[in-house]
Amino acid sequence: MVFDGILISIIIGFLRKGSLRGIAEIKLKGGYIFPLLLIIQLTIYLLQSKFALITNISGYLFITIYLCGMYFLWLNRKHCGFLLILAGVFLNFLVMAINGGRMPVSMEAAIILDPYYIDVLLNDVYGKHMLLTESTKLAFLGDIIPITNPYPKSQVISIGDIFMNIGIFFFIQQLMLKHKLTKISHPVLKKEVN
Amino acid sequence: MIFLIKLTRVNLYIIFIVIFGLISFLLHIDFTIKAITDWTIFIYLVLSIIFLINCKIILPPKGNALTMESGVYLASTFIFGVETTLAVLLIGNIAFALLNPKIKWWKHLLNFTNYSIMTIGAYYTFILIGGEVGSVQLEKIYIYVITLIAYYTINVFLVGSYFYLASSSNVFKVFKTIVSETLFGYLCTLVMSVVLAILIVSHDKFGLVLFTGVVGLLSVAFKQYYNLYEKVAKKANTDLLTGLYNHSYFKEVLTNHLKNNDNLKLSLALIDIDDFKKYNDYYGHLAGDDLLKYIGNLLSEGCKENNFFVARYGGEEFVIIMKDVDRSTALKFLNTLRKQVNDSYFNGVEILPHRCLSFSGGVVEYEKGIYSINELIDRADQAMYFAKAQGKNNCQPYDSKNISLTILEHEKELELLEQQVKIFLYKDVYTYQHSRRVYQYARDFAYKLNLSDYEKKLLISGALIHDIGKLEIPRDIINKKGKLEPFEWEIIKKHVTWGKEIVATNKDLHDLIPLVELHHERYDGRGYPYGLQGESTPKLARILCIIDSFDAMTTERPYQKTKTFDEAIEELKQCAGKQFDPNYVPAFIEMVRELYPLKFTENSITKEKVTNF
Repeated sequence: MVFDGILISIIIGFLRKGSLRGIAEIKLKGGYIFPLLLIIQLTIYLLQSKFALITNISGYLFITIYLCGMYFLWLNRKHCGFLLILAGVFLNFLVMAINGGRMPVSMEAAIILDPYYIDVLLNDVYGKHMLLTESTKLAFLGDIIPITNPYPKSQVISIGDIFMNIGIFFFIQQLMLKHKLTKISHPVLKKEVN
Repeated sequence: MIFLIKLTRVNLYIIFIVIFGLISFLLHIDFTIKAITDWTIFIYLVLSIIFLINCKIILPPKGNALTMESGVYLASTFIFGVETTLAVLLIGNIAFALLNPKIKWWKHLLNFTNYSIMTIGAYYTFILIGGEVGSVQLEKIYIYVITLIAYYTINVFLVGSYFYLASSSNVFKVFKTIVSETLFGYLCTLVMSVVLAILIVSHDKFGLVLFTGVVGLLSVAFKQYYNLYEKVAKKANTDLLTGLYNHSYFKEVLTNHLKNNDNLKLSLALIDIDDFKKYNDYYGHLAGDDLLKYIGNLLSEGCKENNFFVARYGGEEFVIIMKDVDRSTALKFLNTLRKQVNDSYFNGVEILPHRCLSFSGGVVEYEKGIYSINELIDRADQAMYFAKAQGKNNCQPYDSKNISLTILEHEKELELLEQQVKIFLYKDVYTYQHSRRVYQYARDFAYKLNLSDYEKKLLISGALIHDIGKLEIPRDIINKKGKLEPFEWEIIKKHVTWGKEIVATNKDLHDLIPLVELHHERYDGRGYPYGLQGESTPKLARILCIIDSFDAMTTERPYQKTKTFDEAIEELKQCAGKQFDPNYVPAFIEMVRELYPLKFTENSITKEKVTNF
């Protein structure tokens, strides 16, 4: 979903006559950390079904990765949108932490996905997700929002994801439109009535 | 501290609405957590609201904006009922408040409670006339129309009452303005809410996404058109050369000021650059254009702080509209501006008579009874011409008296003298201006002293012509910037004698000879040319000496600091009995204080009073 968000933001940025020039000039503190965390996460996905040890501690690993990520988001909080991203990650983190390190996925929403995923969710570990049940706490923060037809890529997202994507949207818009911030604002048009 | 609010009626109204809104909100909201599927539609609605609030559709010409969130609230009320809508309203408003922290918190609260009252009111209307939550009954379209009318009426009532209380102008006028500004937007909202309701019923969340998407795209498109409109509007209202506003826009703005306001306080200044034609002829039009640009820039910089409106009136004329400023403040401002212009060097100004950039300005304050802008501009114009007649590089307030003074000046004798003094315009404009000012002081002082008619006439005429002998002083000396050599001083001193000789050529002016010849004598006998002491100098020459010295002290020259009126008066007091006749100094000081109160800093006046009593 994060990739979709970036793509959509860039397209809208172009519609608003922005350019990619600003993106080349991003300066983030510890910018390399983010791809690194992603790689670690993907490695865990790959390994967790093979090694029981990793399966058992993967919940804690995900929480650690989230904490790490949130720390670096905090460091960069002065960038436009980063506090929203942080809030989103925190909401996801909260529901995961409170439910043992995995993201609960709503069955009702997951129906839109390939039945294969539900199978996996029911019986096995998949990614960092698990099925949402009666005992799940703060269920509304889990992956409960289905996005499907006509959207090309069916998926289920959480409220935290939405916050993150809005933050990413603001960040990218600001980067793309930065160079034309010299607004045309003219006192002529601010005439007062009376 | 926040709670120490002054209980004005506006605040009482706000408090009442907020409490009423919050109570009705709490009575209708349902906090029980619903099924996950309800959560998803709820989130979709909230997102769509946040999106729509930020996607204003801006409409020219006045920057009115149309937002579509009311359409969503109404559609949501039709389909999901009042509880869901209120929850969406709450979360949407919180999100909006977080995204716009600059808006005051109570405004967010008031906005939220307003919407709550509107939504609840619309909901009950909807139910009362037979609407059913959950579907769209197109055969009973009137239900939706009436619901929207209710929603709209409550909105106009709430907003209108606020503005009525805050501005305390005519009730009818307030509501009329609000209705005329919002009716179109609400018509759109009505249609949109029904469209959205149909979309949601038939296509669920996707309908909402489609709707939001369409509004978003419209918003982007309208924004681009609006920017284009702004650009073109700016071009149409701007003078291309100087970047200031242009003539026609100035007239439009001034007309609006005069039309809209019953107790208008406004001053208008008309400025004309001195000897621009000369500069233009000498250096060519391109250089002249640069000069205009430069002065335009100086003026707009100078007016920026006070937010005055500057426009190029035409040619080398500029106008400044000063709202909420009275005449004397306007005059003071204009004089400061003039001094700034004097002190700003521009290439080639040496050829101008003042040897610096300068302008003449006329100031007029709006009074009741001025019915058209032309009359106002005309008065400013007259004042400006009066300033030109004073030798340029000065500013004058409009005064009907000043006009009659120019008529008086056409008295035969004065006209003759005037002709002679005018020669200085070519040789030494400072002497010309000095003569004009001393003449003005002498006029006022003559009346103050209750001189006889004959003495009055002598003093006034003598004042005008007293420095005529300076015509004989070589230009190199009279215009010299540095310190004068002793021999040059000797030449300067001779101007009284030369003056006497010039005046003596005309038999009619013989009475003026003592004034011309003796105005540099001192009371203590150390003056020139004869070193006369005390009362052996004629009375009028002693009086003229005071006036002449006072003006010499306070004359401003470019690139130099001058004595303020306070300092000059201090000096007069110090020298009373030495240089000046002590009998006339107090009267003169009194007159200057009366006629030019603005030239004094307030402190010095009060201090003066304390020492006097």
